[in-house]
Amino acid sequence: MPENEEYKEVGKSEFRSYCIALCLSKKAVLRLMFATDERETDNCFKIYAVFSEQGTDIFHIPFFKLREDDLTFRSITDGIPAAHWYEREIMDMFGLVPKYHPDPRRLVFHDSFPADSHPLRKDWEISEKDLKEWGEGMVRKVPYDFLEVEGEGVYEIPVGPVHAGIIEPGHFRISAVGETILYLETRMFYTHKGIEKHFEGMSFHEGVKLAERVSGTSTFSHSTAYCMAVERMAGITITEKAKAIRTFLLELERLYNHIGDIGFLCAGTGLTVGNATGSKIKERLLRLNDRLTKSRFLRGINTIGGVTKDIFLHADDISLTIDTVAKEYKGLMKLLLGSVSHIERLENAGILSKNRALKLGVTGIAAKASGIDDDIRSSHPHLIYNKIFEPATFTRQEGDVFARMMARAEETKCSMHMIKTIIEGQHEGDLQVKADDIPPNSHALGYTETPRGSVFYWVKSDGEGRPLRVKLRSPSFCNWPSVPFAIQGNIVPDLPLCNKSFNLSYSGCNM
Amino acid sequence: MENIQFIIIIFFSPLIQGIIKKLKANFQGRVGSSIFQPYYDLMRLFKKEMVVSHVTSWIFRVAPYIVFVSTTMAAIMVPVITTKSTYSITGDIIVLIYVFAIGKFFMALAALDAGTAFGGEGSSREMMVSILVEPMIMLCIFTTAIAAGSTNLAVIAEQHNTILTPSHMLAFFAFMIAIVADTGRIPVDNPDTHLELTMIHEGMLLEYSGRYLALMEWAHYMKQMLLFTIVVDMFFPLGIAYNGGMSEIAVSFAAYGIKMIFLACVMSIVESTRAKLRVFELPSLLGGSFALAVLSLLTLIMIGR
Repeated sequence: MPENEEYKEVGKSEFRSYCIALCLSKKAVLRLMFATDERETDNCFKIYAVFSEQGTDIFHIPFFKLREDDLTFRSITDGIPAAHWYEREIMDMFGLVPKYHPDPRRLVFHDSFPADSHPLRKDWEISEKDLKEWGEGMVRKVPYDFLEVEGEGVYEIPVGPVHAGIIEPGHFRISAVGETILYLETRMFYTHKGIEKHFEGMSFHEGVKLAERVSGTSTFSHSTAYCMAVERMAGITITEKAKAIRTFLLELERLYNHIGDIGFLCAGTGLTVGNATGSKIKERLLRLNDRLTKSRFLRGINTIGGVTKDIFLHADDISLTIDTVAKEYKGLMKLLLGSVSHIERLENAGILSKNRALKLGVTGIAAKASGIDDDIRSSHPHLIYNKIFEPATFTRQEGDVFARMMARAEETKCSMHMIKTIIEGQHEGDLQVKADDIPPNSHALGYTETPRGSVFYWVKSDGEGRPLRVKLRSPSFCNWPSVPFAIQGNIVPDLPLCNKSFNLSYSGCNM
Repeated sequence: MENIQFIIIIFFSPLIQGIIKKLKANFQGRVGSSIFQPYYDLMRLFKKEMVVSHVTSWIFRVAPYIVFVSTTMAAIMVPVITTKSTYSITGDIIVLIYVFAIGKFFMALAALDAGTAFGGEGSSREMMVSILVEPMIMLCIFTTAIAAGSTNLAVIAEQHNTILTPSHMLAFFAFMIAIVADTGRIPVDNPDTHLELTMIHEGMLLEYSGRYLALMEWAHYMKQMLLFTIVVDMFFPLGIAYNGGMSEIAVSFAAYGIKMIFLACVMSIVESTRAKLRVFELPSLLGGSFALAVLSLLTLIMIGR
């Protein structure tokens, strides 16, 4: 078992007070919470919560057992609001009911999904009839009630799930007075892919391909976190060279995402030239990805035990492209920061306060823009980040759209610097180490920082060394609940801009 | 010839739109679609099947025709390449502005008719912009009308070289901002957006499809070209023909084409260099240009030019 994971079994009744004490005494942050169905071996369900302690590289992982005679537990959401979605997800997927949860509606399943059907249980089955009705979505089995805002002049605007642009499905229910938004409710999970269930039917080695396909814009981060989890579980140490290649590609992924996102913000304000320039630079980087890895989105590189291609053979191409990108990026930032009309739209729009961000466990760019130094690269160093990563000296305090743009800009600079450092350095070792034996009945965490924030994988193997449970938590999953808070009080036409500044993935949420 | 000059507006207006789109694409470093694309779009829309919500009333179905006809009516009243026109007896510019208003009124009504949130938002925002734009346009017109001694566009257009006076300069800038607002361009509205929540003009058209949409779009192109034509008539009439002579009309036509392309360039530059304003910042932009319009009228009255 990896050394920085401290598991502790607590009683079902003490779990809540234990977690709250952890948050208060050690300033711990809830990173993920999940359940496992271990009825075959331990005759119980287990619920785990992963906290990371501030300032040290330690994950505290308290867990408790739930026997089949009582499948309810005391909700911790009232003490730790960040657990909100996790508990509802556990309720949907396992049928373990959090008592006293402030919002006990279903989260993942939509109205046509049958009640009392919990896909992540090992003995889950769905009848032909249910499947048909679910697929057609015609029978509303468990109606979902949106919160209604009452008052004179309050009206509702339903937006989505099908949008005018070509984007993924998500429903926004806006309650507004005039142009001012009083309340926004989001409904996600329209295209839930059942990835966690899917992992259980594959071997750990096959799982890499699936992890790469969770979210199109952070394929490499997902596969790295997944491989890392499996490698930690199996006690495999990868070579320095493989570590360097992974770090390099993670930063390359961050670079193309951030530059694309900064440009994409211009689409929200109508600054067409900025948008076009951002897309152009992004395309240049995607083509570099293609030349290095034969995949524009960096697929097919990670494998358990290392990487498949030595991209340092292309060192000249890389430094040439990065130099061009750096130059063009500088021009883009000059254009954007010089455009008063653009900056004016960004400032004071979509403010997410530090207090709220902390409580909701917001991660990545959104957290940094609100003044929280949340970066798993520095708090839990992995790969070669302890050698090359200089912890962010810079966190914005404002929490508005502009702060999120500048947080991206700062990370972009940092990534370019790291990319340079990595290709200039010497990295010894083979590409892969042998990784055939996956130990039975063991488990471990894997994690890294995607362009949007931290991603976590928790894997557990069964008696034959095949996946018993793979839990993944993408940054979008823990940032989506914060978007309605940032949007409250803004005007309706600013909603797309605020939403874009978070740039969360629907797909990364619908895992 | 003078009786059919409005045909120019009807048939060349999609071209102007195409040119603006092409220029904008070039500013973004893209090749862009052909300048004839708006024609293809209209042809495609005319062929397409219409989907009309069953909750709509007759207003939704007559609005496209009213919008198109009222814009055509306005086109008939405007001197395009010659000031000699049998219809121009009715070419009173104040009437013209209110003929536009008929179209806008029905468009806003039709957008409300379908009962969608986006149509309602589009309507209410469009009306807010209209309230701010209309007095501004009137003041600019008064400036030129007082200088020319007539509210007839043909008479105003015959007073060439008026652009050089301070009052006309001020009125010109105010009028240009009014055009940006009235044609739904950045920084007031974004014509190319797919974001339903930010739309003004496009929001009103969301429920339309097929032939109705084609008529609405075409009327919009015509209105844009008409407003350009009014600018040209009021501020740069140089080159416009005074009678129906063939050679004079040829010169006038060439001059008109150059002026239209120039205005299309101005529009695409404005659109490419600015971001869209926050909706509630609009009154400050339009208020500023209203002040320009007031100043232009005052200048004319105080110093007489």
